Amino acid sequence: MSNNNQQQPAPVLELRNVSVGYESAHGMVQAVRNVSLKIYPNQIVGLVGESGSGKSTLGNAIMALLKNNAVLLGGEVLVQGQDVYKLNKKELRKFRWNRMSMVFQSAMNALNPVLTVEEQIADVFTYHRPAMSKKEIYDKAVALMKMVSIDPKHLKSYPHELSGGMRQRVVIAIALALEPDLVIMDEPTTALDVVVQKSILDKIKELQREKGFAVLFVSHDFSLVAELAEKVAIMYAGRFIEITDSKKLNLLERHHPYTEGLLGAIPELTAETVMIEGIPGNPPDLINLPTGCAYHPRCKYAFESCKTIHPVEKNVDGRLIACHLYEEEVVR
Amino acid sequence: MAMKQPKPQYERDLIVEVDDLVVKFQVRGVSGQQTIIPVDHVHFSIRKGEVLSLVGESGSGKSTIGRSLVRILRPSGGTIRINGNDITSIRGKELKGYRKDAQMIFQDPFSSLNPVKTVEKHLTFPLKKHQGFKGKELSQKVGELLQKVGLTPVNEIRTKFPHELSGGQRQRLAIARALAVNPKFVVADEPISMLDVSIRAGILQLMNELKNDFGLSYLYITHDLASARYFGDRIMVMYGGKVMELADSKELIKLPLHPYTRLLLAATPGSHIDMNLTDQSNEPPNLAIDRKGCPFAFRCPSATDICREEMPSLQNKSQTGEHFVACHHSL
Repeated sequence: MSNNNQQQPAPVLELRNVSVGYESAHGMVQAVRNVSLKIYPNQIVGLVGESGSGKSTLGNAIMALLKNNAVLLGGEVLVQGQDVYKLNKKELRKFRWNRMSMVFQSAMNALNPVLTVEEQIADVFTYHRPAMSKKEIYDKAVALMKMVSIDPKHLKSYPHELSGGMRQRVVIAIALALEPDLVIMDEPTTALDVVVQKSILDKIKELQREKGFAVLFVSHDFSLVAELAEKVAIMYAGRFIEITDSKKLNLLERHHPYTEGLLGAIPELTAETVMIEGIPGNPPDLINLPTGCAYHPRCKYAFESCKTIHPVEKNVDGRLIACHLYEEEVVR
Repeated sequence: MAMKQPKPQYERDLIVEVDDLVVKFQVRGVSGQQTIIPVDHVHFSIRKGEVLSLVGESGSGKSTIGRSLVRILRPSGGTIRINGNDITSIRGKELKGYRKDAQMIFQDPFSSLNPVKTVEKHLTFPLKKHQGFKGKELSQKVGELLQKVGLTPVNEIRTKFPHELSGGQRQRLAIARALAVNPKFVVADEPISMLDVSIRAGILQLMNELKNDFGLSYLYITHDLASARYFGDRIMVMYGGKVMELADSKELIKLPLHPYTRLLLAATPGSHIDMNLTDQSNEPPNLAIDRKGCPFAFRCPSATDICREEMPSLQNKSQTGEHFVACHHSL
């Protein structure tokens, strides 16, 4: 369905200085601050951050699914060159799922408990492809189930009759039903057992290679994203503090101190001796953000400039890092 | 089928000895009332000052074992001895007394604390009740505990309510509360799985420190092999209520003998094992009481007829040390 054969290197998703806030009684919660990113066809990009870092908010903002008190404060979200916030309601409903779709964290909540799997898959086609006949829709549903390795007999099942892993597979099948160019996956495997998680990730990789859609994979699990994604954006207090090639995610390379801290906090499975060190302190209050670099109160390298001057992204060995450590101009 | 499994070597320095432990539950399934057996004749022991990591997926029985050990749950069969005393079915005063010896840290620090009690109240209650502290001494003891678990500045934290604390701070409070009775043995049930990555390491480090300072023994329940290996001296892998493998942590990761351990390792990011997962790996284990054979057989790549008929016994495969594995086809 997609017509992305004009200029190949055009990004599927382009974020230009996107900022999102939540209005609250205590002031504006700055969940996403001035974020820019490009995702190209065939690419899996990981978005990693702790709770409250703004990663899910950003995912919702791309889908134009921000909830009542959340507002896009600035910037542009371009999907295949189309600014999703310039579409009217009707156009947006057509655009969503056709061009971009989303896999939500909790498969139980994403599925309707009183409809069978078949009805939920058919729903996508009856709205977006009104010309399709019942038979065509059924055949398509069977094909989708086979695609995610579920026995088509489960088309007649209700969500509660399926295991957690199967439910998440159904959600993935629905997200891919219209062959979108971009799929946003918000912690799709968080509630699942490790083995099931692995089999779902393998499935996502396989389908992605086959269909060539682009993925923004949102997760808090660093090691998981590093294995799956090609490029990883690390978020802290609503900003990208580092965007890096996933192969470079090790302590031998130079990183943002937060990335370094996270890498040092994960016990390694196979190393001879395992040393881990936590990051002191807690994630910041998003209403009263620290001045300068938001990470400075927890940073072991912090110096004077960090407290006052906001660091900008710099290219360090091919990675984007927003840290004063890598800026020669700033006087320590 | 109840197979006699070899008992671990009894040593004088054992704190926990679990022998033939069985837990059964009545559940209402699709086909009416049904008995399941989430813990199926399990033997193991924990030495003084040792951390035993218990690894498994949901439905493996790992939490049920933890709950049996602190006796929130009464086992259906077998014996649990703590320091040589049988606590399998004690009740009343005896059980209350036992709370001093064994404590539990739960997974969710958001629901394991009382929202209307201050930090101080969480700690004064066990200190008064089990240790008999009063007045100035009591308040001093609270301060010491908070300091110990890194909840500082102490005087500011004391008066706070749980909702004013972050996830990591709450888990620290839960740990302080467990320590308040001066226990000898702690069951930690997924204590870090709900915390942010940057906070997890700090909690693991704290538990490690306390182990060394107080000579504590732990049963560390987790689904994550990496942290099991980091914190545990030995790792016990369970599936469907049965022990699959039990060995020294490093050895188990380096040289897994059971196909299930290999599968778990292959699914863990950063492992050296690469394995294609079959599609049936999505189904939960059969816990029905009338099941036959090895619970892992239906998912196992190397299963044969005997696996579906007969549960293999747990055997030591190591010439020099202890490496127990329950598999008909182990390496």
